[in-house]
Amino acid sequence: MLEINDLNAGYGFLQVLWNVSMRVEKGEFVALVGPNGAGKSTTLKTIAGLLAPMSGEIVLNGEAIGGMEAHRVSSVKGISYISESLNLFTGMSVHENLLLGAYIIQDQARIQEGLDIVYQLFARLKERRNQLAGTLSGGERKMLAIGRGIMSAPDLLLVDEPSLGLAPNLTMVVFDALEQLRQSGVTILLVEQNVNSTLKITDRAYVLEQGQIAMEGSSRELLKNEHVRSAYLGI
Amino acid sequence: MQATQTQESFITDLLRKVFSAAGLTILLTLVIAGATVFIAGPFVLVNAIVTGGMWALMAAGLSLVFGVMNIVNFAHGEFFMVGTLVAYFVFTPLSAHLKTNPSPLLSAVAPFLGVLAAALVGALLGAVIEKTVFLQLRKRTKEQWIMNSFLLTVGLSVIIINGVQILWGTNFKGITRYWEIPPFDILGVTVSVDRAVVFFLAMATMLLFWYFLRNTGTGRAIRAVSQDETGARMVGIDMNRIQVLTMALSSALAALAGASLLFMFPSYPTVGLKPLYIAWYVVILVGMGNVAGALVGGFIVALLQTMTSYFIGPGWEDVIPTAFVMLILLVKPSGLFGSEVKGIHER
Repeated sequence: MLEINDLNAGYGFLQVLWNVSMRVEKGEFVALVGPNGAGKSTTLKTIAGLLAPMSGEIVLNGEAIGGMEAHRVSSVKGISYISESLNLFTGMSVHENLLLGAYIIQDQARIQEGLDIVYQLFARLKERRNQLAGTLSGGERKMLAIGRGIMSAPDLLLVDEPSLGLAPNLTMVVFDALEQLRQSGVTILLVEQNVNSTLKITDRAYVLEQGQIAMEGSSRELLKNEHVRSAYLGI
Repeated sequence: MQATQTQESFITDLLRKVFSAAGLTILLTLVIAGATVFIAGPFVLVNAIVTGGMWALMAAGLSLVFGVMNIVNFAHGEFFMVGTLVAYFVFTPLSAHLKTNPSPLLSAVAPFLGVLAAALVGALLGAVIEKTVFLQLRKRTKEQWIMNSFLLTVGLSVIIINGVQILWGTNFKGITRYWEIPPFDILGVTVSVDRAVVFFLAMATMLLFWYFLRNTGTGRAIRAVSQDETGARMVGIDMNRIQVLTMALSSALAALAGASLLFMFPSYPTVGLKPLYIAWYVVILVGMGNVAGALVGGFIVALLQTMTSYFIGPGWEDVIPTAFVMLILLVKPSGLFGSEVKGIHER
């Protein structure tokens, strides 16, 4: 479904990604793990169109999308990106944020369907539907960002560090939600620092170190890998 | 027990609202307005109410452009001027035509045609300027956007003023009234039909504008861009489209205000400067990106002006509001009502 070949990207003169190649098949749940500053978020931003690649290609269903404007990646190509900083509309209600998530959908029935799915996934958001997004707690904000991300019924969901800054029980809520989404057929590319839990729920994983893919394989095998165990799991 | 508690919290809440900066200012304004009516008679208020609504429209457009596009627009008054010009050139031939062959329907509708044409031309001009000027600057500017775009608007203002002067000259193009209907009395005050219609037009436009921003998908998208640009792009909002629309909308509001007030402000090249300053007074007073606040602020500034000119003298009309704005900036820099909109530079 998504194929990245020899991608180079970065900010201005600072190159972050060096010849990164990876692929995500339809229906897969793929993780991208690695230490701080390895370029995980840069990879997602480049796919989402918020950052133009320096070279290399990003192919979605056989069509090159590298360098396409962010709003077209989202509206035409059906890729939904949930950023680390969430980028919520803090001065609007939870409900309005969700409606904006479905900005590209005209059909009222489909928007209602999306709302039902989100409110079922996160009952907390339904309780707080008229509250301003800026007044939510950290966990609720994450839920709202994910909810907004799936309102457009995307084919591919890019999720950046959903567990960052969350208490362990809330992290589990978020991970459960991702698991449920995967079961409903959404393809997910997940960036995480929480390597242990991530490798337990994903199918495959890539390890990104210093802007290059250091390792790839099925999540189960990577969990057993000597390097991964010593560097990321502290075993 | 339960009931008294909620009642108490309601009262404390109300007291807190009244004693906030915004509450005190509104209260003070009402007291001043009441005193004015008592001392000078209610006729002084008519002008304040008529112009206040239109200043609110100017201010709403100004703060929208700042909130969504981060442009400190000093060419906003020129759209007011273009509005007066278009209304004049649409309305005068129509009214001359009506002199020779009278038609009650057309004479009732003609002023609205002038105002509508002005709003349309204003919207078009705004969209063209966004495409040819601001979009080009946006492609080239990496930093210092606020300063660059501000300087550009000042340049635009000079070009538009001088362009109009070359094309149509410096003579005043005004009308004495839109409707040839005798004025009527309310509470012993004589009010011309023009003034009454202008007031209701301002209120209706403001309401429509507010409804558009609150309850339509596009309006929501405009607010989304002003709150988080990256977030807006992530959910699929086309920035270029929103920017053109915002500029067109803001310009249309200014042109509509100009056209509506043609009988008070005859058209000449620099007629837009005063409304521009007034709109800035209002925006600084209430804070950026606050449509309902702009309405209150518009009336406060208009009241300050008419009172100053009545009690002290017309020459002082701008002195008092300026002093008031300076005071606000010293005490509460975010404006009376605070705001949900922040420019990029504040994030």
